[in-house]
Amino acid sequence: MKLSRNTLFTILSLIVFAIGLTLYLGEYFIGLLFILGSIMIYSLSSYFSNNRESFIELLKSKAKTIVYPFIGIFVALILGGIIMFISGYNPFEAYAALFYGAFYKNWSTSVINAVPLIFTGLAIAFAFQANLFNIGAEGQYYVGAMVATLLGINLNLPSYISIPIIFIVSSAIAGIYNLIPAFLKVKTGASEVITTMMFAHIARYYSPIFIRAHGGDPSAGSKHPYFTDKILDSNCLTKFKEFLPKSDYRIHIGILIAIVVAILVYYILYHTKLGYDIRAVGKNVNAAKMQGIQTGKVIFIALIISGVLAGLSGVIQVTGLEHRIYQDLNAGYGWNGISVALLASNDPIAVIFTAILWGALDSGGQYMQRNLGVSGAIVEIIKGIILFLVVARYIYNYFYNKYFKKQVFVSPEERV
Amino acid sequence: MEQYILEMNHITKKFPKVIANEDVSRNLKKGEILALLGENGAGKSTLMNILYGLYKPTSGDIILEGEKVVFHSPKDAIKHRLGMVHQHFMLVENLTVTENIILGEEPSKAGFISYKEAIKKVQELSNKFQLEIDPLEKIENLSVGLQQRVEILKALYRKANILILDEPTAVLTPQEVEKLFTVVKSLVNNGVSVIIITHKLEEVLEVADRVYILRRGKVVGEKKTSGVSKNELANLMVGRDVVLTVTKEPKQRGDKPTISIKNLTVLNDKMLKAVNNVSFDVYPGEIVGIAGVDGNGQSELSEAIIGYREAESGSIFFESQELKLNESQSSNFLRKMDRFFFNSINVKDRLEKGISIVPADRHRHGLILEMQVAENLILGSQPKNKFWKNGILKWKEIYKYSDELIKKFDIRTPSSKNLVSNLSGGNQQKVILAREFSKNLKFALICQPTRGLDVGAIEYIHKRILELRDAGYAVLLISLELEEIFSLSDRILVMYSGEIAREFVTDRTDQMEVGFYMMGGHKTKREA
Repeated sequence: MKLSRNTLFTILSLIVFAIGLTLYLGEYFIGLLFILGSIMIYSLSSYFSNNRESFIELLKSKAKTIVYPFIGIFVALILGGIIMFISGYNPFEAYAALFYGAFYKNWSTSVINAVPLIFTGLAIAFAFQANLFNIGAEGQYYVGAMVATLLGINLNLPSYISIPIIFIVSSAIAGIYNLIPAFLKVKTGASEVITTMMFAHIARYYSPIFIRAHGGDPSAGSKHPYFTDKILDSNCLTKFKEFLPKSDYRIHIGILIAIVVAILVYYILYHTKLGYDIRAVGKNVNAAKMQGIQTGKVIFIALIISGVLAGLSGVIQVTGLEHRIYQDLNAGYGWNGISVALLASNDPIAVIFTAILWGALDSGGQYMQRNLGVSGAIVEIIKGIILFLVVARYIYNYFYNKYFKKQVFVSPEERV
Repeated sequence: MEQYILEMNHITKKFPKVIANEDVSRNLKKGEILALLGENGAGKSTLMNILYGLYKPTSGDIILEGEKVVFHSPKDAIKHRLGMVHQHFMLVENLTVTENIILGEEPSKAGFISYKEAIKKVQELSNKFQLEIDPLEKIENLSVGLQQRVEILKALYRKANILILDEPTAVLTPQEVEKLFTVVKSLVNNGVSVIIITHKLEEVLEVADRVYILRRGKVVGEKKTSGVSKNELANLMVGRDVVLTVTKEPKQRGDKPTISIKNLTVLNDKMLKAVNNVSFDVYPGEIVGIAGVDGNGQSELSEAIIGYREAESGSIFFESQELKLNESQSSNFLRKMDRFFFNSINVKDRLEKGISIVPADRHRHGLILEMQVAENLILGSQPKNKFWKNGILKWKEIYKYSDELIKKFDIRTPSSKNLVSNLSGGNQQKVILAREFSKNLKFALICQPTRGLDVGAIEYIHKRILELRDAGYAVLLISLELEEIFSLSDRILVMYSGEIAREFVTDRTDQMEVGFYMMGGHKTKREA
C-alpha cells in the first residue's frame, strides 16, 4: 500500500503543478504558490517514503547540472552591472527595472518570446544528442511558418480538424526540408553544418516572395505587401484569455504545447530504443556501428526529427501569435535556439527554462529601455557573457585536468 | 676508442603506470645504419621520442658529438641536425612537394618566398641523394613510398645528419621497400647516419650494420648484423619470463566447424589488401589464437568477420550457412535500398546469429564512455529481448540485468548508473566481457582482451575465456601478446602481411618457432 500512496502523491503534485503553471503563465501570479505547493508535496512524499536515498541522489545530480548555468548567469549580471556603471547608469536601478519587467510587468511578453525558442532549442538540442549540428533550424522555422500560413489561409474546416492537419503537415514538410542535407550527410559525409545553413538561406530569402504571392490588401493599394493575409480565425490557437479572463490577450496555448513537446522529446531520448540509439551514435559512432546499430539510419532520422521540431516553432508562431507572416519576421529564433540548447546542455527539460530566461531577458530589456533609457543592447551583452561562461566550463575543466587532477597516462605503445 | 656521433647513456623513462625504458644505453657511429629491434611495446618508439625531444627522460644523458645536450622540443633536435620520419607522415596533402619541404624554413627575399630558389634547392638535394621526385607535384597525388621520400627530403633540407626512421616499411609495398633501402644506403654514403626502428628481422639483416634488441624497455642485446642469424635475433626478441599461468584442461573439440572462413580478402582504408586469401575454421570447444605483430591484417580480419568492414571477396560460413558479405547481396529489396541510402552494414544479422566481438580498441569500438554502465551492458542486444517492447525501454529490467552482471563479473562500480568513463581500464574491459559473454553467443571473436591491464585483471579475463571454451563455444583469439596466445589457444595461426603464414598445434611448438614466423622469418626473399 505504501507504493500506491506514493504514486498518489506524485499524481496529485503533478496536477497541482500543471494548474499552477498554467495560472502562472497566464499572468495569475498566484500560480506560483500552486507550483511551490506541488514541489513541497512531491518532496515530502519522496523524502518520507522508502526510496529516500534515490531522491537525494536525484537532487544532488540535478544540483550539479544546474550549478554552472547559475554561476554563469550570476557572473554575467555582475559584469553587465559594471559595464552599465562605467557607461554612467545606475546598475541597481537598471536591474530592478529589468527583472520587474521580465518577470512581472511584461511577463506575458517573456512567455510569448519563449514559445518559438523552446521549439528551436529542442530541435538543436535533439540534433546535438546525435552529435549533429542543425545550424539551419532558422530555415526549417521559415518552412514551417510558410506552410502553416498557406494552409491557414485556405483550409476552411472546423478547428479541431484543421489545426491538427496544419500542425502535422507543416512540421512534416519542415522535416522533409532536411531530407537532402540528411541524405548527403549519411551517404557522402557532407557536413550538415554547411548544407542546413545553405538551406536556411534559401528558405529565409524565399519568404518575401511567398509573402507577395499570398498577401496584399487591395484596398490599401500596395503592390508590395509586407505581410501575408491573415489566416482564418478557425485556424488560430486558443488564447489563455478564453479561460483566464485577466491574462494578456496575446498569450496562447502554444506555451503549453511547447512544454508537452519538450517532455515528449525527453521521453523519446531517454525512454525509447530510438533515443538510446541516437545517444549512442552521438557519443561514439564507431562503437554503435560495431554493435549493430544502423548508424546511417539513426543520423538520418535524428536530422529529420530535428527539422520537424524547428518547423513546429514556425507553425506555433503563425497559428498562435502572428496569424500571418511579416516580412520583417526576422527574429532569428533558429540562431537563438543554438544559445538556448547550449545553455541547457542539450537537456530537453532544461531547454524550457533557458528559453524562458532568454525570452524574459528580451522583454525585461525592452521594459528597461522604455522606462530608464538604458539601451536594451545591454541584455545582448549579458546573454553573450552568460553563454561564454557556460561554454567556458570546458576551459575550466581543461585547467582543472591539467593542473589538479592526478595524471594517469601510459606510454604511447601501451595506450589503448 | 671509436668516435661516436651520438650516445645515449643510461636513459630511463618512467610513465605513471609503466616503465617504458630502463637504463638504456646506446650509441651511433658516423655513417652507420643502426637498427632498433623489438616487439610492440618494447620501448623503441619511446626511446626515439626521447631522442627527438618529444619526451624528457626521467634520468640519463644524450651526448651529441661529444657534447651533452638537452632537447626541450623537436625544434631543438632539428637545430642539432636530427631528423625523424614518423610512421604516420606529417605532410600537408594539398600542397606541393616543394612547399611541404620548405614549410617553416622558406627561403625568402624581402619577406616573399622565392619559389624558384626553393625548387632549385629541392632538386639539388634530390640529385645529391638520388631521391628522384617531381618538386611541383601535389602530395595527394603521390604514392605512399614517394610521400615517405618527401619526408626524408624534408629532414635533409633541414640539414639532418642523423635520420631516424620509425617503422619505415610498415606502409610500403615490397618494391617500395627495396627502393627505400637503396636510398638509405646512398644516404649513408653521403655521410648521414641512420637509425631504423623495426620489428622485421629480415630488414634488419638486409640493411643495418648493427642492431640493438629491446625487450620490455631494456636492451637485451647488441649485435653486428654480419654473422648473426635470424633465429638468434628472434630468440632475443621474444624470449621472456613467464608471468602468467592458467591451467588448461584438454578438451575434445566438436566435429563441425562453427565458423569457417574461405579465401577471405579484405581491403584496408587505403584500399590495399590487408587480408589476403585467408582460410581457416574454428570448431566448437576450441580456442584458435591468431598471433602476429600489429598491423599484419588482424584488425581488418576481425572487422570483416563481424561485418563492420565489408570483405572484398571470399566467403564466411557460420554453422554451414553462408553469410552475405554485404547487403547488396541481400535478396531483400528493402535491405538493398538500406545499403544504398544509409550505407547500412550487416553487423546486426551476425550478432543475431550468435557471433560476438570483444574489440581490440575498447574506447573506440567497444564502449560508449559517456553513457551509463547499464546502457553499455545492453549495447548490441537484439530486438526480441526483455529490455524493450515496441521501442520503449524497460529501465527496471535493464537495471536489474545490469546489477546481476555487475555482481557476476565483479565489475567495480558504485552503481549501474555510473558513467563507464569513470571506471578503471580493467573494469571497463569487464563491462565488455560481461556484455559479450552474456549474449546468446555461439562464436566469440576476442581481440586484445588484456591490452594495458594489470596482472590480476589479466588472469581473471583469461579464466573467463577458458570457461567459454569449456562450455563448448568456439573462440577466436587475436592477440599481439604471444604469451597470451600460448597460454589460451589450442591451435595457433600466425598472420604475417595479411596471410596465414603457418598453423601450429600449441602443444607441439614453442614461442621461438612462432616468433620466427611472426617476424616473417620464413620469407627468405621478398617477392618482387
